Formats: sequence, C-alpha cells, structure tokens
Amino acid sequence: MADPVARSVSTRAAREPVVVSGLAVRSAAGSGADLLARACAGSPAFDAVTRFDATGYRTRVAATLPGDPALVDELAAVIDTACADASLDSDLRAGTPLLLAAHADRDNRATAAEIARRTGLPTPSRIYTAACVAATSAVADAAVMIAAGRAERVVVAAGYLVEPGTFALFDAGRTLARDGRVRPFSAGRQGMVLGDALAAVVVESARSAERRGVPALARLAGWGRSGDAYHVCQPRPDGTGLAHAIETALARAGVAAGDVGYVNANGTGTVFSDGAESAALHLAFGDAVREIPVSSTKSVHGHALEASGLMELALTVLALRAGQLPVNAGFIEPDEACRLDLVLGAARATDARYAVTVNAAFGGANTALLVGAP
Amino acid sequence: MTATPLGTATPLGTATDVAASPEPLVLARVEWPSGPGDTVANLPQIAGFVMSDFNPLVAEIAERCLRSHYGAAPADPARGASTGVVLASVRGDVMTVAAVHSALAEGRRVPPLLFFQSNPNAVVGHVTARWGLHGPVVCTSPVGDPLADGVAVAALLIEDGAATEVLVIAADLPAHENENDREYAVALLVAGVEAGEG
Repeated sequence: MADPVARSVSTRAAREPVVVSGLAVRSAAGSGADLLARACAGSPAFDAVTRFDATGYRTRVAATLPGDPALVDELAAVIDTACADASLDSDLRAGTPLLLAAHADRDNRATAAEIARRTGLPTPSRIYTAACVAATSAVADAAVMIAAGRAERVVVAAGYLVEPGTFALFDAGRTLARDGRVRPFSAGRQGMVLGDALAAVVVESARSAERRGVPALARLAGWGRSGDAYHVCQPRPDGTGLAHAIETALARAGVAAGDVGYVNANGTGTVFSDGAESAALHLAFGDAVREIPVSSTKSVHGHALEASGLMELALTVLALRAGQLPVNAGFIEPDEACRLDLVLGAARATDARYAVTVNAAFGGANTALLVGAP
Repeated sequence: MTATPLGTATPLGTATDVAASPEPLVLARVEWPSGPGDTVANLPQIAGFVMSDFNPLVAEIAERCLRSHYGAAPADPARGASTGVVLASVRGDVMTVAAVHSALAEGRRVPPLLFFQSNPNAVVGHVTARWGLHGPVVCTSPVGDPLADGVAVAALLIEDGAATEVLVIAADLPAHENENDREYAVALLVAGVEAGEG
C-alpha cells in the first residue's frame, strides 16, 4: 500500500541538513565517556533505592544518582554543559530556542521559567510530556524547525529523577522487574527498572555549525513519528506503528535498511513491549535485520521515562563516534519472539555510518531517530 | 464544515524569536463547556479510567470535534492514516496526581488502574484507537497560550509531512485559585493548506 506520509517526507527531505553540535548526559551509570564505557561493559547501575522508602514494592532497586537531587538544578547543569560543548556563548544562547521534556506536572511553567533564567536560554514554549517519547518528540520538532530554516539551532533537554509517585505507579502497574534487572529481549525478562537521567543536546543546522567552526558530533539524518491507534498503554503487537516511524526516518534520509549498523532499542524488558518492538524491527528492516546489531542500554542505565529517548540518542551518538556498540545486558537466553542480533557479552566494534534509536510510549506513540556519522 | 483560517491563534508567547510554521486551516472547532448541561458530572465515563475528570474531559472534547467533521467513528482509513493528535495541558491530570499522593501519604497502595492513566498519552491512545488515527501523538505542558501552542506543534507536524491533519486539544482541570475556576477544553481539527483546500 502506498504510504502517504513516507511519500510526503521524502519530498520534503533534507532542506537544511541537521547535526548534533553538543551534548551532555548525567546518570547513575555515568556522564559521557564513562557512561559509554559502562554501557559497553554491560555493567548495570542498579542498586537499592535510598531516596525514599521502597519497602513493599516488587523491587527496591533503581539506577539513582547519589542523594536527592533537584530536577531544576540538574537540568540547568546539563544544559550548561551541552551549550559549552557546542561553544554557545551567552549571546548565542539568548537567541537559541529551548525545548524541554519532563513529566507532566502542575508546576511545569515555573520549572521552564527557572531553567531559562539559570541557563540564559529563552523561556521554552512548552515542556514535552509524552511519556517515553517526550524527549525524542522534542528532538524531532527541533529538527523540523532547523530543516525548514526556522531556527539555526535548538537546545533540547530532558530530565527524570526517580521519585515515590512514579515508582509506586509503575509498581502498581506490575511493570517493575521483581529480580531488579532489565533483560531486554531475553527469555525470563520480568520488566523494567527505573533510572535517573538528565540529558541535553544542541541540534543545529550543518551550515551554522560549520560557520561557527564547531565540529558536528553526528548528523541527525532522519526522524519519524507514528501512532499505533491500538491501546491506551500497550503497543500494537504486530509492530506496524513503530515500523512506520523507522521507515519514515530512513526514507527521509534516503538510507537503506542495510546501511544501518546499530539499533539502540527501546527494549524496556517487559514481555509484551519487547516482542512488539522485535516485530517492528523485522518489518522495518526486512532481511537486513539479521545483520544489524541491537541493544537496549536501559539494561544499564534503567528507564528514565520522559528523558529516556534523549539519554539513548546521546549514547547512540557516543557509540557511533567511538566505534563501540553497547551491550544488551541482563540477557539469559533467547526468546523466539525476539529474534535479533543482540550485542551480548562484550561490546562490538563497528565502523557503521548510521544508527537508529527507537522509542515507544503509552498511547501507542512511536519515534525513530536516524543518527549518521559526521 | 468549511475550512477557515485559524484567525484566533496567537504567537507562541515566548522569547524564542522563531518564525512559526505556516498557519494551518481549521476544519472543526468545539469547546467545553458549550451549554448548561456541560458539567463534569455529565461527562461520559471511559472504561478503565477512574478517579479523575481529566481523561473523560479530553475524550469527550475529542469525540465531539472528530464527530463534527469525520462523522461516526472510525475515521476514513485514508485520512486516519496520517491524522495526528496534540494534547496541550498546562497542569496535566492533577486529579490522578492527587490520588497517587493521597495514597502514598496515607500508606495505602496506589490503585493499579492509576498506572494506566499516569501519563496524558493514555487517553490519547483511547481516542486514536477508537478513531483509527495513526499519526504522531504529542503531549505537552504549554508555557504560553495552550491552544495557540498546541496549534504551533500541529503546524510543525504538518510542515514536516508527519501528519496531514491534526486533532489539537487544549484541556485543563480547575486550578482552584478562585471559586469560579472550572475545567475547560477546546479541540480543533486542523489541516495543512493543501489538505484543507483538497
């Protein structure tokens, strides 16, 4: 069947090439090169929660930073670091739009204003709250703004800190892994483990970055978004919705499935979601999927909900640059519903030019970002 | 219904100094409340959603807007294939959040059903499943005017080619900053100029 959206994006593609010119991350698993090293070692950052009393829940572990940090403080710090990475001085910051992703909260307006005040960036128009695709939706919007020539650069930042409310909700939903481990795509997987994450990226037009003499860390070669139209919180089992997002991202860049050398999977470690995602990867990549290394770094840094997509984009960029693909940790044994070329045991060396990071969320929302080596 | 220019849209209301995407056409517009019978007590309940007016409010305004333009559910598959949804809510589902906080404060277990409505995406999933809408799903907390910002996000989706039509919903429960505060919701079905003229 002809796909009107894929056809549409292919005709609108690549008006203004988009790159990532700065990034910063902070998590219990590390903050940059050390984060990639830990992901490549497959060494999870999960430990007993001390921030609040987690007694009586399915699990007592999460991947948390020390102490009880404040979201505004942490977001402002990670944004500062990403802006410095992209050589954005105060004048440039003042004219650079900021898009934020965080949990829906009645105080979001105040949060947005305070982060703008502390970072010297303009007050963002909105905070993206679309669960596990919140941050990647913001990245896609930033890319559209830049590709259309409506902005030269955009800062996208996202944060999630493990707190009692979401912990209790995910426990009530029986989604937390009783064994305290995330085992994406593995037989015997029991669910997810939550994790802190703060991430910020500077998305910029290639021309602007070149003019400023700032090296691109990666190209944001394509992006795609779709809806499952299936359920309030479960993904469509046949994977067609997520596959459509991936196909759109590839079509936008004119990249063939066989040119993709890594997939940073959504891989939550829940039985149903991993099966649906595996089906989506088979649909989107066809036979090429057998040769594409796949891992979910949630197995190391946990699930950071609204911030997870930006954390995983950053790791995907770092992995392509280092030529090292992170491990899909926690794996026990194959699951017939998840026949993928998982990166198991040790990091895998790569000279891949393209990688895809995929995310899926409540409400059947799907995103795919295609990252290209600079 | 005849497509009309948006007209009522206002600028983003922030200092981003970014040129907006082309203004979409409005195919349908509905508001809540639209009459004396529009009270939260009269909102149709949705199976699986409990203890909060937010999700029934969003579902009802979406239903009225889509029905006014698409007719009965589901949407024509050709249109639904590229219809997205943007839900803009300044404070989000404050009743669900309050219910979770109450349970924690009183040492009770959080009711399992609250997990399924712990994010605004959930009710959008209800709407898209019922109507067969396969376009992008975006939920936001706008900083400026909620409806205008929702339309701005929709315009980006249309400009991107990610959607040809977008259901934009702005909805919030009362802030209780004064005794006259009450819930509100507005829904627009918008389209790019080409789709609107087509």
